Amino acid sequence: MPDGILIVLIAGLVATACGLLGPFLVLRRMALLSDAVSHAVLPGIVAVWLVAQTRAPLPVIVGAAAFAVLCVLGIDSLRATGLVASDAAIALVFPALFSLGVLGVTRYAAGIHLDLDSTIYGEIAFVPFDTVRLGGYDVARSGLVLGGVVLFNLLLVGLLWKELKATTFDPQFGATVRLRPRLLSRLLLVAAAVTAVAAFDAVGAILVVTLLIVPAATAYLLTDRLVVMVALAIAVGWVGAAAGYAVALPMDSSIAGAMGLVCTACFVLALLLSPRHGLLTRRWRRRRAVADAPLLR
Amino acid sequence: MDGLVALLGLPYTDAVVIAGALVLGITSGVLGAFAVLRRRSLVGDAVAHATLPGVCVAFLVAGVKDVPGLLLGAAIAGLVAALLMVGIERASRIRPDAAIGVVLSGFFAFGVVLLTHLSNSSDADQAGLENYLFGQAAGLLERDVAVMAGLAASALLVVGVLRRALTTTLFDPAYAGAIGLPVRALETVMTALLVVAVVIGVRVVGAILMVAMLVVPTVTARQLADRFPRVLVLAGLIGAAVGVTGALTATRGQLPTGPVVVLTGFTVAVAALLLAPGRGVLWQARRLAARRRTVRRDAVLTQPDAPVSGLRDRLVRAGLRRRGLLAADGTLTAAGRAAAAETAERRALWTAWLEHGPSIRLPDAREPDPTDLRGSLGDDAVAQLRALAAGAPR
Repeated sequence: MPDGILIVLIAGLVATACGLLGPFLVLRRMALLSDAVSHAVLPGIVAVWLVAQTRAPLPVIVGAAAFAVLCVLGIDSLRATGLVASDAAIALVFPALFSLGVLGVTRYAAGIHLDLDSTIYGEIAFVPFDTVRLGGYDVARSGLVLGGVVLFNLLLVGLLWKELKATTFDPQFGATVRLRPRLLSRLLLVAAAVTAVAAFDAVGAILVVTLLIVPAATAYLLTDRLVVMVALAIAVGWVGAAAGYAVALPMDSSIAGAMGLVCTACFVLALLLSPRHGLLTRRWRRRRAVADAPLLR
Repeated sequence: MDGLVALLGLPYTDAVVIAGALVLGITSGVLGAFAVLRRRSLVGDAVAHATLPGVCVAFLVAGVKDVPGLLLGAAIAGLVAALLMVGIERASRIRPDAAIGVVLSGFFAFGVVLLTHLSNSSDADQAGLENYLFGQAAGLLERDVAVMAGLAASALLVVGVLRRALTTTLFDPAYAGAIGLPVRALETVMTALLVVAVVIGVRVVGAILMVAMLVVPTVTARQLADRFPRVLVLAGLIGAAVGVTGALTATRGQLPTGPVVVLTGFTVAVAALLLAPGRGVLWQARRLAARRRTVRRDAVLTQPDAPVSGLRDRLVRAGLRRRGLLAADGTLTAAGRAAAAETAERRALWTAWLEHGPSIRLPDAREPDPTDLRGSLGDDAVAQLRALAAGAPR
């Protein structure tokens, strides 16, 4: 398989995994969780280094995921006290965890090259070089991991669709009909944390944060139906993956950055031109309504 | 500065760092309060990310790594990002957190593209441009602290002068507009002040410390005070205390300043959330437990013959027996009967309040306390309630 297609496919897998969860996070006002998780995993990586003296992908992912889950559950329980809003809870927890990681690095791991760029900010351009033998073929390792994550998210969202939808839009109703909103919210947050960590390793933190938030926000501008929103979020993510790669090649710039830029461009287009919520479309409609109104003419 | 060096008996560089932490703590505490209470705690995070393309563009324009130019670029980009966030939030159905996320992602992606483009195309002069944003408190100069203090003083002055207008706009923009305040201009002023604080802070101490320093003082202060002016003052003091304590600890322990300050702040905020009198988690739990105990006690007193069920019931009965309200055979003693009568009386009064409350005349609009109606409403109201309850057919 040509490297370019492989890179776009891997980014597309991340876009799918993120697109399945992103709309729920955006609707629940927890969009910035992904950014928090991207910083909070550092102590996990340091801990793995201290305990096992290794930077092999699997233990690092496990350590990072442990702290990602710790981070989201910490945020959720702070929020549940009702004393701080969710944004303040996020801003309290992730700097603390990140600081713990930085202290760990300076204290115990200063000699090794354990910085963010090389350990958690994976680089999507290197995806084709990291393969495993499977049934006689060389398969991209991140493809396997991300395929599993997509499958897991698909199962989660598919099986709990009704419940997630009800508790997202009306948690009180959800509690009344015994849907366990707290449990569902935690399940969703843990899934988002695990997705983010698995994808950091493959494509880098910034692309994951972007793909969890921007396509979902774009879709939110385009539709009022949740199922359409999820489908649109995945579609925007794929557009970002393919077009971003096409843009990055001639410009000789970061592939992940270009993918993020394309997604953001999609958001701007939707912001201006969405049929119902677009800024320009609303202005045009108002102008036409004034022109068409017989009494005002 | 020399006075501080002498006072603390510290090496000069440490004194500079601690003075910087003090100034930064006060500023971010006061300015952060406006962001936190508007649910925009993470604006600082987005502004910090947005400074990357700002620095790159400034480098492209100027062609050299000259500090004031790069700082100006960062500040402009941060301001544009912050205003875009507010604009997206106001003009569309996108909520604050998603608006922050979109702007953060967009600007950072742009910054990364610019940076890779620069490093692939130009000479080596751009090296280290991205590290520019990771502050280094140890590299703080006296001049930096002086600039910070100047900017902080002017920011605090603006907040002081516009105090009332800013507060009104913060809590009720619609009302602020109705009484003729320039709401948009005020919000822009506030955003600009915040951006200035973040850009300086990011340069000096790094993005992560800035995010925490904007939030920790306000969360802590909010646990200790209800009135906004007090929250503002307290946030400034707490920010200063956290900054200085953290910086001192870091210098003593030979540790990096930023993380130690953040962890100090986190500890303080969590302690306030747990322990703050009246509002803390533990106080709430204790109040709830006390209320539950009263309910169980009342249940036993009013129905001592009910079959004993469960451990809690047994514990309540043991407690009543210890206080001489319940005899050994499970019947009420004389004191117990009096207590039961009092409970029944209290319940009757509460029922009467629920039924006739709206029709009695109260000197003011107080919320009654169900467990102590007489204490919270006064004898006069209780007498009126009794009369109404006695007169009305049940």
